[in-house]
Amino acid sequence: MPQSGDGKIVLRNISLARQDRPLFGGLSLEIAEQRVGLIGDNGAGKSSLLRLLNGLLLPDAGTIVVHGLETKVQRARLPGKVGFIFQNPEHQIVFPTGAEEIAFGLRCTGMPSQQADTAARAFLAEHNCAGWADTSVSELSDGQKQHLCILAILAMTPSLVLLDEPFSSLDLPSRMKFMQMIAALPQQVIMASHDLDVFADFDRVIWIDGGKIAADGAPSQVIAAYRQRCIDSIGRTS
Amino acid sequence: MIAPYLTAKTWLHHVSAGWKLLALAAISIAFTQLTDWRGLLAAAAAVLALYLLTLLGHWSRLRLYTSLLPLLVGIGALQAYASGWEIAIASIARLAAMILLADLVTATTPMLAMMDALSPVLRPLRRIGVDENQVSLAVALVIRFMPVLLNEWTKRSEAWRARTGRRPPLRLLAPFAADVLRLADHVAEALESRGFSIKRSQERNQEENKD
Repeated sequence: MPQSGDGKIVLRNISLARQDRPLFGGLSLEIAEQRVGLIGDNGAGKSSLLRLLNGLLLPDAGTIVVHGLETKVQRARLPGKVGFIFQNPEHQIVFPTGAEEIAFGLRCTGMPSQQADTAARAFLAEHNCAGWADTSVSELSDGQKQHLCILAILAMTPSLVLLDEPFSSLDLPSRMKFMQMIAALPQQVIMASHDLDVFADFDRVIWIDGGKIAADGAPSQVIAAYRQRCIDSIGRTS
Repeated sequence: MIAPYLTAKTWLHHVSAGWKLLALAAISIAFTQLTDWRGLLAAAAAVLALYLLTLLGHWSRLRLYTSLLPLLVGIGALQAYASGWEIAIASIARLAAMILLADLVTATTPMLAMMDALSPVLRPLRRIGVDENQVSLAVALVIRFMPVLLNEWTKRSEAWRARTGRRPPLRLLAPFAADVLRLADHVAEALESRGFSIKRSQERNQEENKD
């Protein structure tokens, strides 16, 4: 089961510069919904925002509290509470077999090696993936690799799962299966994606543009506004 | 030689990682002491037999060695020219045997077991401020990411060939190096996001030292 947490994320007056260019200047945001989507152009700040939430990036100014943990002060405790799924599973899988990949995360939480191996195998079996325990990850399809990545994160029982464009390397069947899996998660989920259809059943969508919130609210309204802006900008350039 | 872990179980899979690494080190030292080309050739033949018998049914793995052949031939030719054919045969037999043995260990040892076996050996490095857990993870990462890097190089070469119709030049190494650094960044982020960081590792060590 996921760890307990108040399920709330609060960003207060965040400033962040990337490569000496200001990205966020005084951003404030509160998130309590279970399913939240982030949309926006490349470079708008979606990935940076996600990285601020799991402590991979720390704000230059302001505070961020994620499920009761202040990222600047309690950074070391964040991996136990916040799971992160990256764009390319190839970058995330560190070990050659499924069981080792799951066990590594458990060992990072302080579990002894033998116990971590047993728990990893049991966890894979529980998720109908027992066959992956001793399978070389290079033999898995891209969809299966992404599936293994999310299992490796879930094994660490986070209360929040962040996903940074997790579909870019997946075919349609894998994408649909993956979305079904995400929909069934008991954890709070925040996902950035360019595939706007996946947010239809989400509770909230936030459109980020140039480090600022351009629109925030129900998926249908925010996505419609973003689409319209894209259409307008094409019209202006052609 | 870096090739993936063999998931089909052989007898060598049941030998502990520590013993395998110890045996590998001992045999490698013995090989450096042997100088007679006949002795080395016989020893290399014995190693090849051990390799083939252990990995029975998985001989296709040997195909991975084709990329090494030009290197072995080059070294042999250089040695034959400089020091004579006896020394050339001795060098090639020694090198080939050590590569095959190392591959046997990588093929039959899970990475986490290898890391666990290496960590105590590397522990004295702590005295000079080096964390053994990170060194053993670095070894594991090299083994895991070598096929990924080879794949990246193939993609770069294909893109070059598609645009020029020629073999990729050496200067393609510069963008490839940039790819490697980018990959390293991604992997570091992935490790950190799962709680493996320099600071945490050091904190763990301090806690262990207190115990």
